[in-house]
Formats: sequence, C-alpha cells, structure tokens
Amino acid sequence: MTRNRLRAVLQWTLGVWLVLVILAAFFYAPAAAGFKGESARIVFFHVPQAWVAVLAFCVNLVASLRYLRTRNPIDDARAAAAARLGLVFSVLATVTGSLFANVMWNSFWNWDPREVSIVILLLIYAAYFALREAIPDEERRGSLSAAYAVLAFVTMPFLVFVVPRIYWSLHPDTIIGATGKLKLQMESRMLQVLLGSLVGFTGLFSWLYTLEVRLARARLARRGREEA
Amino acid sequence: MRASTLLSESLAVLGKELTAELRSRVALNAVGLFGLTTLVAVAYQIGPYRIQEQDRPHLLAALLWVILFFAATSGLSRVFVKEEDAHTAKTLRLAARPLAVFAGKFLFNLILLAALYAFIVPLYCALMGYPVQGVPGLVLLLACGAVALSATTTMVAAIISRASGSTALFAILTVPLVLPLLVMLIQGTRAAAGSAAVAAVVPALQGVVSLGGATLVISVYLFPVVWHD
Repeated sequence: MTRNRLRAVLQWTLGVWLVLVILAAFFYAPAAAGFKGESARIVFFHVPQAWVAVLAFCVNLVASLRYLRTRNPIDDARAAAAARLGLVFSVLATVTGSLFANVMWNSFWNWDPREVSIVILLLIYAAYFALREAIPDEERRGSLSAAYAVLAFVTMPFLVFVVPRIYWSLHPDTIIGATGKLKLQMESRMLQVLLGSLVGFTGLFSWLYTLEVRLARARLARRGREEA
Repeated sequence: MRASTLLSESLAVLGKELTAELRSRVALNAVGLFGLTTLVAVAYQIGPYRIQEQDRPHLLAALLWVILFFAATSGLSRVFVKEEDAHTAKTLRLAARPLAVFAGKFLFNLILLAALYAFIVPLYCALMGYPVQGVPGLVLLLACGAVALSATTTMVAAIISRASGSTALFAILTVPLVLPLLVMLIQGTRAAAGSAAVAAVVPALQGVVSLGGATLVISVYLFPVVWHD
C-alpha cells in the first residue's frame, strides 16, 4: 500500500469513527442523572477538547526542546502547529464549557478554577503567538518562542493539578483523585463513548497536526529552491 | 576556582546594575511611584471601611498582590531592555558568562522587589486597615514570592529584549505565567492575615516554592540560548 493510500484509509477511518462517536453520544449513551435534561452529553466533546488542548501543549514542548537542540526549522514549524491547534481546542473547550455552565447554573461564566485554568492556557498560547509576531528574524523567532514555550510549560502542572485543589470547583472531581488513585465513576456506556471520543479527538488532532507540518515542510522546500 | 569566578562575575553584574540604577533611578522611580499611585487610588476609592467584613480577607489580600505585581511589571523588564537600547548587550556578552549575567540581573530584580515590598506593604496595611496576625508567615511568603516573581520576570525580560515592541510584550508574556503564582500568594496572604502561626501559610508556601524553584531551574537552563541567540 502506498503512503498516500494509507493516509486516505486512515482519514476515512477517522471520519467514520468521529461520526460514530457523535451518534453514540446522542443515541447510545444514556442521559446522566443529576444534570438538567440532556446537557451532560456535552462531556463527550468538552472533555476531549480540553484533553487535546493539553496534549497540544505537550507536543509544543517536545518540538520546542527539539528545536533548541537541532535548530531545524521544521521543529519550529511543528511547535507552532501544535500551539495553533492547542489554541483552537482551548477556545472550543472554553465555549462548550461555558454553554454547559449556562444550562446548568444559568451563567455562562462562574470563575470556576478549571474555567480559569483553561483561559490561562489560552492566554499562554496567545502570548506565544504575540511573541512570534514580534520577531522578524526566523532563527531568533524559533529559539525565543521555544524558550518561552518551555518556560510556560512549567506552569501547566500547577494550573491543572494545584490551582483546582486550592479553590472549591463546580467541576466533578478529577479522574486521578487527590490520593493519586484512578477513579472512574461513570455508567459503562457513557465511559465507552467518552473513551471513544478521546481516541477520535486525538486522531483528529494528529491528522490536523500532520497536515500543518506537511504544509510547513512544503513551504520550507519551496523557499529552499527559490534561494538556491 | 571556577565557582568563585562565577560568583565574582555575578556580583560584578549586580554591582553594575546597582550603580547604573542609583545613577538614573529609572526602575526605582517607576516601580515605587506606580505602586504608590495605585495604592493611593485604591485606598481613596475603597479604603478600610467600604468592604464588607466577610469580604475583607479575600479582597484585601487580592488587592495587595494586584498592586505589588503591576507595580513590579513597570520596572522589572528594564534589566535587559536597557542593554539592547543602549547597545551594551554585546559588550556584556563578552565580559561575563551567561549564567553570571542571569544571576546578576535576577539578584537586581530581587532587590528591586524587596524594596517595593518594604515600601508598599506597611503603607497598604496602614491605609487599608489590614491587620496581619502572622507577620513572620507573611514575610516568608513575600520573600519566596519575590524569588519566584524575579525568576519569571528576569527570564521574560531577556526574551522580550530581543523582540520588537518589547515593553508591551512584557506584560502580555508575564501575566499568564505568574497567574498561578499570584493565586497561591493571595491564598497564603489571606492565611497569614488570619492566623499568627507560620503553619497557616505552609500549603501556599509549598506551591510558591515549587513553582518558583522549577521556574528558576528552567530559566538557568534556557538563559544561554536566549542570551547568545
């Protein structure tokens, strides 16, 4: 099987998988008890979006560290692509969370620690791009934004694990509790859909990320030919 | 031999910073006057009597750190921006190793923050009627907070000094990085104000020390990349 054919098969598989996840979220998973109407179904999209935002941040860190070591422009492009997608998924997670909050608590924004954490993540990504825009020289842009990305990553564990434990949160308790033990208290079919959605969104991120990196690689190759 | 050279280079950079600052007093004036102006505005508009009793612990701790942080941002970026503006960065690169430059600038920002805290915190407590039960706890928290803030701001100052529009960028890049730190500092200040025991501020201190320590270590590792690029 050629590379392009394999890529097409994977794209179709991803498309079908995501359609199944959407159908399962509305027709297979039962409505959760203790929530208004069908509002809890948003968890099948909101949680994977937040997960992908954090995953993108991790990919951005790895690519930034690689760039600092290799100075290969494609690693800088990888870091920027991951940050761009992370920004998009942070916005989506914020919007879906806000819609859910309005249904449940009649307010789009409640200053919940997790709401604030995702907004800070969004601000970090926005600052990362503001920094990139302010540096015209490509090599310097790569190294300074990589340094900022690594520095910013230090705050992430504090945003995700420490701040939500300092303040009372509207959000349900985390999957990994304060004791460090894994606890999943979810109806079996809901859990299946949530895990399926997590896989689907991770696949979606991988596909979009690969597209961005291929585009950057093509741009770099064209510029190399023009300069030659 | 190597360690003593690094120490002497760091102290030389710190000495240069202090001499230049005492000559011009730009950062000192900016930080001090920004802090004082904000404090007067807050005290005039809110004062000790316009906050409900149940809201006082939260609001007074938060307002104190808002004043301290924004006053600090007005002057802490200067350590590197002025080197680029005066075209002295290249000379400094030749004269001292990166770690010594970072250490000298970090210590200078730390001294600037200590001066700001020593000036603003007692004034704030007096003007806003903020009785602090646990003074040792608060002092400990301020000291650890200053180290963490100085580490972050010194590193961000080094990054933005190499970019255009650096003054505006400093706040944009710093605020998201220090927000978790500020949350923990506000929490700790609230605890120090309410209890005389140092143990009350320990949970917040643990967070501040670990975040500050991690930032400091990462900054030391990254600084040569930023400085020599």
